[in-house]
Amino acid sequence: MLGLSLLKTMVLVGSLSASSLVHSSELVVVVHKDNPTEHLTRSQLIDLYMGKYVAFPDGSKAQPLDIDNDETTKEQFYQALVGMPLNRVNAYWSRVKFSGRARPPVVQQDQQAVLAYIESTGSAIAYIHKNNLTDKVKVVYRFDE
Amino acid sequence: MNKSGLLVRLAVVIGFASVAIGFLSTQLFYRLTVNQEIEIANQSIESLFKTVQATAATAAYLAEQDLAQEVVDGLSTNEVVKNVVMTFEGKSVKANSEPMHNSMIFPIASLFDPDQSIGQIAITPNIDYIKTRAEQLARENSKAMIMQAFIVTLVAIFVAFYLITKPMISIAKALHRTTPGDGSRLRVPEFHGNSELGVLVHDINKLLDKTESQFSEERKLREEIEALEKRFRMLFEKSISPIILMEPRGNILLYNSAFEQTLNKLGRNFQKSFGPLLSELFVEPETLANAVEVAFANDEIATGEFRLSSINDAESVWVQVIVTSIVSEDLREYYQVTLHDISKRKRELDMLAYQADFDKLTKLNNRQGLEKYLHNLIEAESPFTLVLMDLNWFKQVNDIYGHKSGDEILIFVADKIKKAIRPTDVAGRWGGDEFVLILNNADQTQTTQVVERLVHLISKPYYLRKYDQNVTIGASAGAASFPTDSSELQALLHLADQAMYQAKKVKESNPSDFLRFAESLIEEDNA
Repeated sequence: MLGLSLLKTMVLVGSLSASSLVHSSELVVVVHKDNPTEHLTRSQLIDLYMGKYVAFPDGSKAQPLDIDNDETTKEQFYQALVGMPLNRVNAYWSRVKFSGRARPPVVQQDQQAVLAYIESTGSAIAYIHKNNLTDKVKVVYRFDE
Repeated sequence: MNKSGLLVRLAVVIGFASVAIGFLSTQLFYRLTVNQEIEIANQSIESLFKTVQATAATAAYLAEQDLAQEVVDGLSTNEVVKNVVMTFEGKSVKANSEPMHNSMIFPIASLFDPDQSIGQIAITPNIDYIKTRAEQLARENSKAMIMQAFIVTLVAIFVAFYLITKPMISIAKALHRTTPGDGSRLRVPEFHGNSELGVLVHDINKLLDKTESQFSEERKLREEIEALEKRFRMLFEKSISPIILMEPRGNILLYNSAFEQTLNKLGRNFQKSFGPLLSELFVEPETLANAVEVAFANDEIATGEFRLSSINDAESVWVQVIVTSIVSEDLREYYQVTLHDISKRKRELDMLAYQADFDKLTKLNNRQGLEKYLHNLIEAESPFTLVLMDLNWFKQVNDIYGHKSGDEILIFVADKIKKAIRPTDVAGRWGGDEFVLILNNADQTQTTQVVERLVHLISKPYYLRKYDQNVTIGASAGAASFPTDSSELQALLHLADQAMYQAKKVKESNPSDFLRFAESLIEEDNA
């Protein structure tokens, strides 16, 4: 009996984590397919997006991109990355903007614009929905890892 | 105002107490305030840190020194903060150069990973400022305390004055005015019907009641004692018998007016002492002293009749003396001497004795007195000559001129006898016209001289005024001597009578042979 209920609990927990994975797995971080960077850690990604170290591991300058007219996707990304709602991310940038050298990511209209920006700029990096993936970009970070 | 009055003392005590309590509580309050202020400062420093936490975290994350400088400068502008040092990624940013003591250390958590510390902020609290503020607070508090103490003192004095001191003072004044026995009572102060002061007044009044009744009882008792004393004094003063209280040595302690009167009678003035047992006042003080000594030795009251010696030679005063020994409570001995004047009785007794032994008419010894005297002489074996003398022609005078004239003649004869005899001799009327002379230690010559002198005086004519007539009487006498003639009184009388009879026989034939002696009696009988 005990073994059975334990098994049940494990199945339940497994299904829950699966659903969250489904949700976040919808977003992936991509770069130009010719970018030598193959993979980024979560910490490297945070430093890139929060303006601390805006470069790829090989030292080449990076250009992070934000999506302007899709608040839901943007919110989903920052929540997944630094666990902050958008307003706090905005507050962070407004603090930094006054004094710092750091600059927030460049804003693009939508995902298509983002993809286009990446295709044209080798140093760009952005987050897109998985289903918008093209062969011109390559995934360097997955939230389900 | 009375310096040791209740109100002043109360004010001083309350004032000092409030100042002391105020001082202590101010000290305590200061310490508490400092701690509290430090606590508050710590809290405010903590909240200060919280407000800059995000900025600090940002600065530390991005290693932005300018931003960090802004944060520490901002923090140090606060009064409770003395200095701030922020360290991150090996860098250190500080607000000023003040030394860091007792700093509070706050770790800076990463913005994106709260579990990760990316630096720290050290904040030094401004202890001087905190203390100054605490002092300020304490000062204000002490001001308030002093004000409060002042008000409390005033209120306490006010309440004490109107509730306690004033009624107490009024009670005390009323009590001061009250004299036990005048019937006045204390009034219960207003609003104190059931308070301790009210009870006090009730109790004082009860005490006054008790004292008053005790006073009246005592007064009654004193009056009784006074009345008794008066009676005693009267008894003592009005006593007709002198009463004297004296010390055994003779000092007179107490005496009554009767004693003074007796002294007057004796022609003396009062003196403090007349010697032991008033010896100076008595004719025979030794006898009295002996009598007292014997009586006291037998544990008796000494009594006896003694004669007082008078200075002015007035009539003699005889007293019955009663001496009582009194031992007082403090074991001192006193003599109570009472003198009863018995002079009158003594005189009466003397008179009786005189009447028994003397002849009323001639004031000479009568037969009984003579016999008594003769017995005494014989008992004492004192030699004397007994002369028996009979008047001649007296019977005729008596018959012719009456008894009164006879009595006159008898008085005349007695008068002559008193003149004729020697001072040591005694004479008396034996009865009728018979007289007796007792001549002490007299021989025949002396006897003859006395009798001759007497007969010579008697034989002179006597003038009877009533009858304007001279009468002449004569006398015949016989003498017998003790112890030469006889040592028996009857025999002596008989011998004298016989001798007189011989003389009588020749009264007319030989008037000059008027005295015969008893010696030749037996010879004559024999012849």
